[in-house]
Amino acid sequence: MTARTVLLLLLPALAIFSLSQRRRLTAVMGMGLFSLVLAATYLFYHAPDVAITETAIGAALVTFIYVLAIRKTGRLVVVCDEAPRLIARDGGEIVGLEQEIMHGFARELGLDLVVRIVPRDDVGAALNRGEADVGAGGIIREVQKKAELISMGFLPSALYRVSGGIVKDAKHLRENEEYFEDTLEAIREQRSLSMTLDLARFLAASRLNLSNYAVERIEGEFSYCFLVSQDQPELLIQLNAYLTRLTESGEMERLIERYMS
Amino acid sequence: MKSTAIGILAILLVSAFCVLLLLTVDYHGARGGTDNPYLAAGASETGAVNLVSGIYLNYRLYDSLFELLIFSMAVLGVRFYLNAEKSTKPNVARVAESPVVRIAADLLFGPIMLIGVYLIVFGHLSPGGGFSGGAVGGTGLLLCAAALGAEVVARRFHEQIIEQIEWGILLLIILFAVAPIFFDRLPLTDLLPSGRVGKLLSGGTIPIYNGLIGIKVFIGTWVVIYSFIRHRGEI
Repeated sequence: MTARTVLLLLLPALAIFSLSQRRRLTAVMGMGLFSLVLAATYLFYHAPDVAITETAIGAALVTFIYVLAIRKTGRLVVVCDEAPRLIARDGGEIVGLEQEIMHGFARELGLDLVVRIVPRDDVGAALNRGEADVGAGGIIREVQKKAELISMGFLPSALYRVSGGIVKDAKHLRENEEYFEDTLEAIREQRSLSMTLDLARFLAASRLNLSNYAVERIEGEFSYCFLVSQDQPELLIQLNAYLTRLTESGEMERLIERYMS
Repeated sequence: MKSTAIGILAILLVSAFCVLLLLTVDYHGARGGTDNPYLAAGASETGAVNLVSGIYLNYRLYDSLFELLIFSMAVLGVRFYLNAEKSTKPNVARVAESPVVRIAADLLFGPIMLIGVYLIVFGHLSPGGGFSGGAVGGTGLLLCAAALGAEVVARRFHEQIIEQIEWGILLLIILFAVAPIFFDRLPLTDLLPSGRVGKLLSGGTIPIYNGLIGIKVFIGTWVVIYSFIRHRGEI
């Protein structure tokens, strides 16, 4: 087999490889590689002029433009505040039930998952500004004001009102404007606060000394959900379909078991 | 089930097409021969060692001119339609700093530009020419835009001036093509002496065409890229 034959056989193989990729970046890289092999083929057929042009335009310029084009569309950006067990940092990684769900959802869409940690109040704002696709991090379905698109609930939850504290601290009287990390810090230092915590956050907080705080469970049925950017109603449909499928296949139960028990 | 069948059918069709293409490749033609008049007299007639340049900028200059016109129309179209449709985000945001891209741009920008210029200047002696050299330069500029931000690069180019240069070059090329008429020669014939084959100053008007086409493609590539970047609001 000569080098020419190998190159000629590589071309359809690379083309099929690129076409069959779900992940867009891999597909674009495959196309770039296709152009490079094509350029090598031209060279072997004594057409160096065409080979140079093919390398400059096909392998470099077009690949570059495609990469820039998918830079934004190739990812699923999730904004959230940390909620232990649901979505939280663990060492250098982000782990939790919601992370697992989002990871599977992103893979199904052929996108790369990007998780950004922001204060709880900024989740909605980031979605409205179009900086993110999905909002997560212990979002309670029943208290949403419909400013964003709301997914179906995937896990029952509860709400707790935590107030009190010994050390006066005007800064921490405001609710939800901070990272959950700061809330934990405030409780650790027994600073005064007054805020509503969802079940996951409350469980994490209850590991600390809550004896100086008044805790009150808010009556009602609550469940966790995701928020979806208003510009992307079709993403909400896809997300709901994915959540339904997870629940029906029993995979959701397995995940909940793994992270919540 | 139905989509699988369509998939298999598509793979079979594409494979059959590939085989058909492979069968049509003339392996003997690739080796060349001296019975071809262009191969026999091309270098001495045009003065270009690179016969490809000799053919598309001398024997087939007419084809190349129209090709260039098509390129100009494409650039014009992109600019016209993207400017007509106002962008929702008028401010071009500075691209996020990435050390990898920055360092790559610092290291590669010089060599890329040098290769681009080399391809243009030596287009009549070695593989290359105005089209590929200009495209290489445009790619280098895109790399720079990705590393430093599009606005930083755009500030170096005065938009109105490069637009005038672009169209000026097109006029100049057409002028060069019709100039022989004023010297009682057929249009598109080479006015300049072909020089000593293999020297840098040879090939008649071919190096001039290469240079003009190179600058035109370089500017055109940047205009297209910058129009897209500005329309999108970010790189």
